[in-house]
Amino acid sequence: MTPILELRNFGVTFRGRRHVDVVAATDISFTMTRGERLALVGRSGVGKSTIARAALGLVAPTTGAVLVDGNDLGSVSRRQLRSLRRRIHMVFQNPYQSLHPGMTVKRLIGESLAIQRVPPADRVELVNDALVAVGLPIELGSRYPDALSGGQRQRVALARALVAKPELVIADEPTSMLDASLRGVMIELLSQMQDVNDTAILYITHDLAMARYVGDTIAVMDKGRIVEMGPGEEVISSPNHPATSALLEAVIQ
Amino acid sequence: MSRSSKIVATIGIGFVGIILLAAVFAPILTEHPPNTTSGLAFESPSADHLLGTDDLGRDLWSQLLFGARISLSVGLAAAIIATVVGTVVALIAGYRGGTVDAVLMRVVDLVLSMPFLVLVLVLVTYFGRGLSVTIALIAGVLWARPARLLRGQVLKVKEFEHVVAAEAMGAGLWRILGLHILPRLTPLLSSQFVRAAAVAVIVQSGIAFLGLGDPSSVSWGATLSFANNASAILTDAWKWWILPPGIALTILIVGFAFIGYAAEEWADPRLTSYGYQRGVRRVLEEHPASPAGENESLVVRNLSVHYETEPPVHATTSVDLRTRSGRILGMVGESGSGKSTLAMAIAGLLAPPGRIVEGEVVLGDTDLRRLGRVGLTKLRGRRFAVVPQAAMSLLDPIITIRRQVAESALMTRRDGLEYASQLLSRVGIDPDRHDAYPHELSGGMRQRVVIAMAIANQPELLIADEPTTGLDVVTQRELLDLLDSLRSELEMDVLIISHDLRMVGSIADDLAIMYAGRIAELGEASAVLASPRHPYTELLLNAFPPVLGPRRPPVPIPGDPPDLSQIESGCPFAPRCPKVFETCLETVPEYVPVACHLAAT
Repeated sequence: MTPILELRNFGVTFRGRRHVDVVAATDISFTMTRGERLALVGRSGVGKSTIARAALGLVAPTTGAVLVDGNDLGSVSRRQLRSLRRRIHMVFQNPYQSLHPGMTVKRLIGESLAIQRVPPADRVELVNDALVAVGLPIELGSRYPDALSGGQRQRVALARALVAKPELVIADEPTSMLDASLRGVMIELLSQMQDVNDTAILYITHDLAMARYVGDTIAVMDKGRIVEMGPGEEVISSPNHPATSALLEAVIQ
Repeated sequence: MSRSSKIVATIGIGFVGIILLAAVFAPILTEHPPNTTSGLAFESPSADHLLGTDDLGRDLWSQLLFGARISLSVGLAAAIIATVVGTVVALIAGYRGGTVDAVLMRVVDLVLSMPFLVLVLVLVTYFGRGLSVTIALIAGVLWARPARLLRGQVLKVKEFEHVVAAEAMGAGLWRILGLHILPRLTPLLSSQFVRAAAVAVIVQSGIAFLGLGDPSSVSWGATLSFANNASAILTDAWKWWILPPGIALTILIVGFAFIGYAAEEWADPRLTSYGYQRGVRRVLEEHPASPAGENESLVVRNLSVHYETEPPVHATTSVDLRTRSGRILGMVGESGSGKSTLAMAIAGLLAPPGRIVEGEVVLGDTDLRRLGRVGLTKLRGRRFAVVPQAAMSLLDPIITIRRQVAESALMTRRDGLEYASQLLSRVGIDPDRHDAYPHELSGGMRQRVVIAMAIANQPELLIADEPTTGLDVVTQRELLDLLDSLRSELEMDVLIISHDLRMVGSIADDLAIMYAGRIAELGEASAVLASPRHPYTELLLNAFPPVLGPRRPPVPIPGDPPDLSQIESGCPFAPRCPKVFETCLETVPEYVPVACHLAAT
């Protein structure tokens, strides 16, 4: 089976201020096939989000390659890139920013369908099903995001991911702006999605406790590199790298 | 939008409306044509010629009315063309970036750097004097300013997550530009449009006054030009020849300017009023608050804050709270539980429609509700300091962090800078970064800067609203440790507001759990964490399993927090409570110091 996402010796260097190069990611290699769950863990600024954006072709690699379903994103046309993007769905960190304030919840959820050219008449049912699946009342569909709490907004973002039926969901710290009490909800919803569509999940977080429950595999990043990668329970019970230990100590009470 | 800017907007719309009415009903309001002789020369005002006639016997009232048509149509047409061109250029330049952006922006710079009025005059002489030529030329120089400003906005908006999200979903160019970027430009776009209209009106009048306008139509500028040529200022004729078009021009331009002003505030809203309301203070005279007890610094008694919207939101209800000297009080609750409102009310930073409807806030022996805006401002920083939510993103981007800290230290400039360096080192920022700008620092570092500003005047009480949200766990831990060590070093009390019970629970001495605007449980942190007495606290603790220990599924709290604009009878937590029984649905449990019927029995 062709992996849905593959990074080969991926590296990104940004040209920073005063022409000092900033290395965002170095020599990253991993593959993800359907049904797999990978948690990418690390402190802020270690390059986790760069990887997420690169997977969607929003950041071009300086070295190495990003392959989506076997297609090198560096050598596809804009049209192909758009259609490859539709097979991956990203859930962003801040639901106060990732939802267009001028669109109703229904339209927001239906946007991925509109992009996939699903006729409007067919969208209604799919959108309503998605609202129910993420535990939101259907009446909420006619509201604007301003009228929703942070938790409700992030559910809308998940509903949008759900209707898109992606092969891979990339969740970039989806709970870090939300109440701690919503972390459990997020895990439940993501695993539902995985069960239904056999979706692969790339979960980006700084919280090892969260990573433990969303990733079968945990990859720990530090300074742009993956410094430790292995089965979740193993990484947590016997961390090998100081970066992992630091992350672990921060969440032990 | 604030009340004052609503008034300004209304006046502006009224002014422009008057001119618009004159333009629309010109043929009804006068029977004389504006540009052909309809009477004798220099007639005084009469019933037939309301403003008299000019040197060629043309009706001046008619010129005034029909002039409105020209001014309005030139103003609007030029503004429409200029903003449309400006927007298109801004979208292309801002979204595409790179060479396209560089080339387009150099063109914009070129247009902006040219002497604007002179340029139009030269072009008018060159291209002819028809009205459409005038419009095109005015638009041709006016588009550059909106283009530059809107491009800046496009650069900002295209990084908004919903735009990136649309791109990530594989959306096409038109969808991204039209549906995601353009709507976010409208506030700026509308204020730029109004400005362009006002400038176009002025320029058109100027051109006409100089005698370079369309010779076949009589605009206000042309009327003034004729008056000037006939030396009307030297005779009595100026009263109806110069004054009316002058006033009309002023009304139109002031009208546009007022609308533009209001539109700008709409585009960039800021908080305008602070402090406790006057009405409350009058009531207070009769009910003086008793001072805080020994070993207490902040005492909140029976505090209720409402947002006076329709329907009103009961953000907090009868909150009792005190910080004990030298201790950290952690206030924990979900979003919407009223914890930030409470913090803002304590600090006197509550903005309307928020209002304290009942209760006391006492700091030491000072009743904070009695102080006016000035009194509170004096106290803020010295007696107590607030680190508001998301403060780290509110630092001034163009001032170095050292100068920003120095500014809050209320010292002479030189001493202030030295002291600022000490403070920055104290909060853990390397000396070689003290002259950095906020954007050069990570979120955690910026939060340290904000803390340095807050402790600059050694407050007795530090209130930190969600100081670690959005930061990674290691940074969170470091910041909490920093607050802990500052607390003992400066002997201050700390109130930390957070949604993360485990995180705050690890450093707090006391914990207050808030739910639906009320304190659900209050006690020593160790006791609350070890044996929570309120079912809500218990659920919060179990909502997520710890990182070590046996694997067990997280137990999400069912349901959502209640809508605080709906007053339900009974315990506010009852609909979500696993231990609910009959009494819970009937009465609100008293707070003793656990607001639960189970604890009372």
